[in-house]
Amino acid sequence: MDATIITNIFGEFSAMAPMIIMIIGALLMPALYFTTKKRGVVGGALVAFILVSLAVNVILLLGGYVGTYAGLFQYDAFSGLMILLFQIVAFLVALVCTSSIEVTRLHYGAFASLLLGATTGMMFVATATDLVVIFVGVELTSISSYVLVAMKRNDPRAAEAAVKYVIIGGMSTALTIYGLSMLYGVTGTTNLAEIAVSLSTAGFSWAFGIAMITMIAGYGFKIAAVPFHMWAPDVYEGAPTPVSIFLATGSKKMGLVVFFKIFLIMFVAGASVASFATVEMQYLFAIIAAITMTVGNVVAISQTNIKRMLAYSSIAQAGYILIVMAVMSEYALTGGIFHMFTHVFMKGGAFLIVGALICAGIGEKITDYRGLAKRAPFLAFAMLLFLFSLAGIPPLAGFTSKFVLFSAAIYGGDGATSQWVWLAFIAILNSAISLYYYARVVKAMYIEKGTATDKIKVPKAFLAAIVICVAAVIVLGVFPQIILGPASEAAAALFSLV
Amino acid sequence: MFDLPEIPYLLTLLIVIPLIGAIVSLAMGGEKQKHAKTVAIAFSAVTLVLAVYLMLSNDYSVYTENYSWIETAGLKMSYILTVDGLSILMVFLTALLLFVVSIFSAHETDKPNYFFALLLAMEVGLMGVYMAGDYFLFYIMWEVTLIPMYFMISWFGGPRRHYAAIKFFIYTHVASLVMLIGIFALAFQAAQGGLVDFSFEAVLAGSGAFGETFQMLVFGLLFFGFAVKMPIVPFHTWLPDAHTEAPTAGSVLLAGVMLKMGSYGIIRVCLEALPQGAQQWQTIMFVVAIVAILYGAYACIAQKDLKKMVAFSSISHMGMVMLGIACLSDVGVEFAIFQMFAHGLVTAVLFMTCGMAGHNFGTREIPLLGGMAGKVPVYAAFMMFGFMASLGLPGLVGFWGEFGVIFAFYEYAYSIDMIWLIVFCLMSLMLTAGYYLWAMQRTLFGRLTDRIDTTHVHDVNKAEGIAMGIMCLMIAVFGLWPDLALSLISQYSTGLFGVI
Repeated sequence: MDATIITNIFGEFSAMAPMIIMIIGALLMPALYFTTKKRGVVGGALVAFILVSLAVNVILLLGGYVGTYAGLFQYDAFSGLMILLFQIVAFLVALVCTSSIEVTRLHYGAFASLLLGATTGMMFVATATDLVVIFVGVELTSISSYVLVAMKRNDPRAAEAAVKYVIIGGMSTALTIYGLSMLYGVTGTTNLAEIAVSLSTAGFSWAFGIAMITMIAGYGFKIAAVPFHMWAPDVYEGAPTPVSIFLATGSKKMGLVVFFKIFLIMFVAGASVASFATVEMQYLFAIIAAITMTVGNVVAISQTNIKRMLAYSSIAQAGYILIVMAVMSEYALTGGIFHMFTHVFMKGGAFLIVGALICAGIGEKITDYRGLAKRAPFLAFAMLLFLFSLAGIPPLAGFTSKFVLFSAAIYGGDGATSQWVWLAFIAILNSAISLYYYARVVKAMYIEKGTATDKIKVPKAFLAAIVICVAAVIVLGVFPQIILGPASEAAAALFSLV
Repeated sequence: MFDLPEIPYLLTLLIVIPLIGAIVSLAMGGEKQKHAKTVAIAFSAVTLVLAVYLMLSNDYSVYTENYSWIETAGLKMSYILTVDGLSILMVFLTALLLFVVSIFSAHETDKPNYFFALLLAMEVGLMGVYMAGDYFLFYIMWEVTLIPMYFMISWFGGPRRHYAAIKFFIYTHVASLVMLIGIFALAFQAAQGGLVDFSFEAVLAGSGAFGETFQMLVFGLLFFGFAVKMPIVPFHTWLPDAHTEAPTAGSVLLAGVMLKMGSYGIIRVCLEALPQGAQQWQTIMFVVAIVAILYGAYACIAQKDLKKMVAFSSISHMGMVMLGIACLSDVGVEFAIFQMFAHGLVTAVLFMTCGMAGHNFGTREIPLLGGMAGKVPVYAAFMMFGFMASLGLPGLVGFWGEFGVIFAFYEYAYSIDMIWLIVFCLMSLMLTAGYYLWAMQRTLFGRLTDRIDTTHVHDVNKAEGIAMGIMCLMIAVFGLWPDLALSLISQYSTGLFGVI
């Protein structure tokens, strides 16, 4: 496909074309709701804007477009693919939020506007080549999400979740800006590539150490990496389910992209001239990854609320993806990107089912899911697929992406087995643990008998979104080539940024 | 055996036909569900015909299918299907047992469409495991067999089915994850930093890079993964639970072909790719094999539940397979494979008789039964036939497996000057004969029991009779003419250890 269709229209702003469309949408939504007062119209416009932006992005991506703007943004294979990921998340959320009973009717225009705004922030992070842009993008997303969580005003759980989220988020912002300023002090620049070059000749300094710690802590909150994970289950539980989907699959991925952008570029792309702290950082990340996946999985076992269980399992999944940060190879990044995509569909799908069932009056307790296979055969089967995919059972997408990701920990690039075999071992053991709590839900749905027997009806929009996720989980499992090819190009693009 | 014309995509058909059958059966909800059995019988019959056609063909190599599936800069996984002397009998056994249990379960009335869909889905996975020529495909198919079995036990099983199903699932899943690590190690080591190709062929070609320590470690990982499936004492505890709770068809498949996946894996992966590792582990293999044989046999004597007894006898007989493999000789492996095949045929009859005991008598408790021969003569005949075949009566199929394995073990014991080891094998033969005859005496003969109400006890019905009749015929045919199977196996096993 030729990218000139887009570049002719957007000219020198082509690198930001998908975001520009989203911003226009974000500005129009409140006005649209004010004039029409109809949720359906705003919902339709919301989906339309996301789809247009998605189309523009796909054309740019397939056209192999590479462009920069003002030395702050760069659109390449990596940013394009990540933008696509965020757009898919936004699309799934936008598709269902109109028909979800959890989303407020009062300020629907604001809701739609904030959703687009938050997505735009993520997309900016994906294209950023400068620390300042990363910071602004993350803040745009965070502030929008605080409001999204708090929108269910009358529900005390939502209010509690929002307050927790704001306080923790504020602290993480303070930490990151402190770290960024320290890093600026050490290197004298905020451009990622220049930082990498400058660090390759620098020696260790306390300022640098503090910068690293505060930045890992600050962005660790976004990923919900252990020990910065406490907020995630409360927030996911309290927020309206569509917003939980957005946070678990989108916002978390943004944190990971920040990690990839800052640390991979700083330590690996620049390491052609040997960076001094690479090995220490690798071990630090390996330990964080191991603890994150273990804590996530072990705590998930004792959960009785399905949203909390999914939240903890989401923490564990982030732990798996953090393997990329320990191995720091291009191949590992390919696996990481692949797993991020499959995670969107399987975790997003599972949350979608929870949201759909809430609309049908089913509670959030695992015990509420008893006998679901009789009452809603399709939903139960879809849930089964998502959970088995999360547990890594072939031939579903979760297995294939874990396979690539874990193999990256064993296959250390060029040569024999790498030093991260133990990490792969822990990850595989964790997969085994996770099967236990996923199987509990399956057992409740298929084997235990429920009290009610009437058929469940859920909104059509939810069904459509779930069907998309089911198709993706199966297709990506059997034909992983679809995403593996672009993912390896994206990884190569990120590594060649310096 | 014969020069038969080639059928295109025959191996893929063996996987796809049951898959279509499973989907069709699943779709037959509501009023149509009583026809699900017809669907299952039809689809498994077609698969059986194709499998027999394949077995009778002269040259399997023409049927190899090889398509690239996933290819990235560093990884290559392919869809490779292939058969040889080791897998062909397993493919035949899978197809045969599926056909037979479909007939046997014809009276299944509770959700039959799900029941038969699960059976056929299991066949998909089993066929895939036995025909895969790529580790990635092998692992996927290995796991595919797990899920239908889990549901089979937890939907259609006995009173403690939930516990048994989850125990089975987690136990074997953990084992297969350990196996996955072993597979990773094999593939990455064989690649030597180049393109990591997961096909069996590529791993074998790169096996020169497997050092001694590597072979020992990786053999351990893979052996653990396969041993749990087999199962080898002390990793057997899931098996009695799973068998006792599973429905008859599930038990037949579990014991008949699923346990064989473990021994198949040991031969296919451990012995072929890691011959030195096998040498280093040989003593341990002998020890676990003999422990399994004797422990299984002793445990049988103590069982009160007929089905649990047969389950423990499976542990004992799979120990015999392990013993043959541990000899690391052509004869040993040849008869180990034969024993796998023989046990698959015999155990099907045994589990069917146990299932009928529960169904027709209302109990499987041996102490509650007695004198049933007079009441249900046909049933008694089948049960005696099965027990005799299992204890190794010459002329039936069980005899050749045990005879060959003990011969190979004797050969090995002689070579290391420790002939007294053979005592263990003789003990096992005695114990086996002992527990079977004792169980038979207590259930079939003597005075008719008054501990259960025998007025409603009925004999074998038509479907059950046909199913058991086919199996008994096979036991007799392969017992009288073992060369029918051995000629196929020896194509594979001859020269296997010529190079060590």
